[in-house]
Amino acid sequence: MPDNQYAILKKEELNSFISTLSKLNKLAAPVSRGYNNYSFEEVNSGDEIALKYIPTILPPKKYFMPVHETLLEYDISKGLNADAVTESEEMILFGVHTCDIAGIQCLNMVFSEHPEDHNYLIRRQNIKIIGLECNEYCDEFANCRLMDTHLPDCGYDLFFTDLGDYFIVHINTRAGEEIIENAGFFKSAQTRHLNELASFREKKRALFKIELPIESKFIPDLFDRSFESKVWDDLDERCLACGNCTTVCPTCYCFDIKDEINLFLTAGKRYRVWDSCQLDPFAKVAGGKNFRKARKERQRHRYYRKFRYSVDRFSRFFCTGCGRCSRTCMAGIRLKETLKSLIETWIK
Amino acid sequence: MDKIILKDSAYCIKKGTILGIKQLTESEKLFEIALEGSQRLGFEPGQFVMVSVFGAGEIPISLSSSPTNNVSFEICVRAAGKVTNALHKLKAGDVIGIRGPFGKGFPVRMLGGKDLLIIACGLGIAPLRSFIRYVFDNRKDFGKINILFGCRNPGNMLFLDEINDWKKRKDVYFESTVDCGTPDWTGKVGLITTLIPGVNIEPERTFVALVGPPAVYKPVIKELLSRNVPERQIMISLERHMKCGVGKCGHCQIQNLYCCQDGPVFNYEEIKHLKEAF
Amino acid sequence: MGKPKVAFFDFACCEGCQLQVTNMGETLLDVLNIVDVVEFREVMSEKWKGELDIAIIEGSITDEHAVERIKEIRERSRILIAYGSCAAIGGVNGMKNNFDLDDIREYVYGSQYHFFPTEKTKAVHQVVKVDYSVTGCPVYIPEFVEVLKAALQGIPYYVPDYAVCVECKHNENVCMFDKGVGCLGPVTRAGCDSWCVNNGNICYGCRGIVSDPNEKGAHDVLSKYNIALDLILNKINMYNKCREVDQNAQGR
Repeated sequence: MPDNQYAILKKEELNSFISTLSKLNKLAAPVSRGYNNYSFEEVNSGDEIALKYIPTILPPKKYFMPVHETLLEYDISKGLNADAVTESEEMILFGVHTCDIAGIQCLNMVFSEHPEDHNYLIRRQNIKIIGLECNEYCDEFANCRLMDTHLPDCGYDLFFTDLGDYFIVHINTRAGEEIIENAGFFKSAQTRHLNELASFREKKRALFKIELPIESKFIPDLFDRSFESKVWDDLDERCLACGNCTTVCPTCYCFDIKDEINLFLTAGKRYRVWDSCQLDPFAKVAGGKNFRKARKERQRHRYYRKFRYSVDRFSRFFCTGCGRCSRTCMAGIRLKETLKSLIETWIK
Repeated sequence: MDKIILKDSAYCIKKGTILGIKQLTESEKLFEIALEGSQRLGFEPGQFVMVSVFGAGEIPISLSSSPTNNVSFEICVRAAGKVTNALHKLKAGDVIGIRGPFGKGFPVRMLGGKDLLIIACGLGIAPLRSFIRYVFDNRKDFGKINILFGCRNPGNMLFLDEINDWKKRKDVYFESTVDCGTPDWTGKVGLITTLIPGVNIEPERTFVALVGPPAVYKPVIKELLSRNVPERQIMISLERHMKCGVGKCGHCQIQNLYCCQDGPVFNYEEIKHLKEAF
Repeated sequence: MGKPKVAFFDFACCEGCQLQVTNMGETLLDVLNIVDVVEFREVMSEKWKGELDIAIIEGSITDEHAVERIKEIRERSRILIAYGSCAAIGGVNGMKNNFDLDDIREYVYGSQYHFFPTEKTKAVHQVVKVDYSVTGCPVYIPEFVEVLKAALQGIPYYVPDYAVCVECKHNENVCMFDKGVGCLGPVTRAGCDSWCVNNGNICYGCRGIVSDPNEKGAHDVLSKYNIALDLILNKINMYNKCREVDQNAQGR
């Protein structure tokens, strides 16, 4: 019996689907940048897309909260005229992994919290998400099973799973359904396809094992006991405070707000730009006092924002297990190792 | 890209006209500001506004006037960085941007009938002046009022003329001290903590409002606790770097609290377990 | 009130940073609309001996004549901008400080070297008060424009005190360390929008070192990537040798 929640797309039709989609919408997807680096870029054909990729340098958050984003435009030449603004356009993201979908869900919670951030929410509404399942671990840095983000849950319009010679596609929203209707190429899924998906997922569950000797429900406890842990001293020695770990994190959203005025000093804009709690000036006040002066305090703050504070505030972890922070760290600070050291110290 | 104008963005600003500027010390000025179209700001002592000087940027500044004034409000600004220096260059009649008020201030309505011990150090007098003036405007609603004020040296003592009025009041106990005296200084010399023993504290009915640089909090709180003031009756305003004022940008975070929304005024009981608080 | 009077002066430098001004394109026309350039050796022959609103100094201070000249300029300038790495942090001229002054003079000028007095290279702020600094070799023009606007508004400008990596990641560049190449991005002050790395080069540290670098951590990273420490120290010293003058002044 056909199932209208699922559709299938033959592999050989993917390129046609992508070309059609890119003609209808602005479309971004993961592309290879060499040196085992990938990034989401605007694409026009399926050939450009890296279907098998490890998490991109920057997560797709760059489309929801751009690195630089205008918040206010003003003109002070004739009195003061200021308008709060946002810029947005409709687009589709193709090939988003489950960890990154989880990251977007975290940001949704942050920016929906009172007072709502309309700049973010308008963008969010304009971006459609087509997920793509990981059939195996991307690499040794991921901890998506521990964070329970390895399987599609929700937060996407369509979700692609590669089942050999075809993709089975979960249709999660009306917008997703429209993409399928407009593009063509898709067929209804039959019971056989659904059975194949079920058996694939069963195998996947066996392949993805909790990466650390802790169940996620005990993580808040672990952190409640770890504030003074020696593990942070080790990070203090190694961290260069370059901010890479937070810039590439799919759930880090801290920002700075700056003004830029024209040379005539008559009109300008106020914009926000990604900032990082790892940087020395981040928590410094005008009098010069820095409330997180030591690198270990900044690293600890990052971990607590992922594993403890977010549990109080949003009832979920803000680590998606994508492994980006570990992959990008020149000093070799690895999230899994840090957690493991915390667990070991706790057990002792 | 479509540009959309947002009418209800958290970053919309209200226009504020500078009505008057008073030079308080070499580096501090007091600005009196009225919102466009006689809008009322509506705030409680201890809250802050985000102040914009266009081209320089936006910073949080605590309100210094009593909320009983519906027409205008005052902020006390030390020239320290980009925006504060730009503010100091402005003149009466100039227009600045205002967002807010933001944060949790002193719970003045809950303090009816209570004794107050107000401890201000340095620039900490700026937010506490709002509290003090509110209390004076509603003097009969409160019990005993004690004000302690400490400064580095007599030259940076703010609101000198007002302080002289406070000193003269019969219904207030006022004492001040400086860390380093000058030849013409006849008052006390010493740390703010040395003034606390002189206050007659009835712990169960005394609420303390304490604002100053981070270094004074620990010794002052220790002294207060030794006088049996309950932890939740010690109200402290914490200073943090802030960019958005609405709990998003992350700068003001103190562990799991956002200073801009959960504070800046906290009671000691709420924050004593927070290692990053002081 | 007339337009602010601005002059460019060069000391020990290649004048490449001043050349960047002439490369500004349309922005240059806007700049010329708001300021009155009264002396700029590279583009005009006029000289200005009077008072200045803004003196823009390129180059480092390397001999006694330069010391006198910079003091004289400082005295008649309301605002002084150290412009480019040589002026702001000593820059490549600082390499001279690696050597004994007599040795290096003899090496350059031969046996008659004592006719050519010299001093240890200094950044401008190590000789006179500097109001604004634009680091970079050459300067990054968008940053210079920001500094100019700050000077016109009379408000401070702060060179970012965090690593070039921040802007480099914002630009989503593939990390030089992933390419197996040593890069000074992690210890160099941002503000250039990772200009060099965007164009396929490494960061050479021309903007000066962040105020609180993790030196031990940086050594560990280099050994992890098999990059010779000496090589990197030489790279750091290429632009940052004059850092020692500040450190000595602070008694470190």
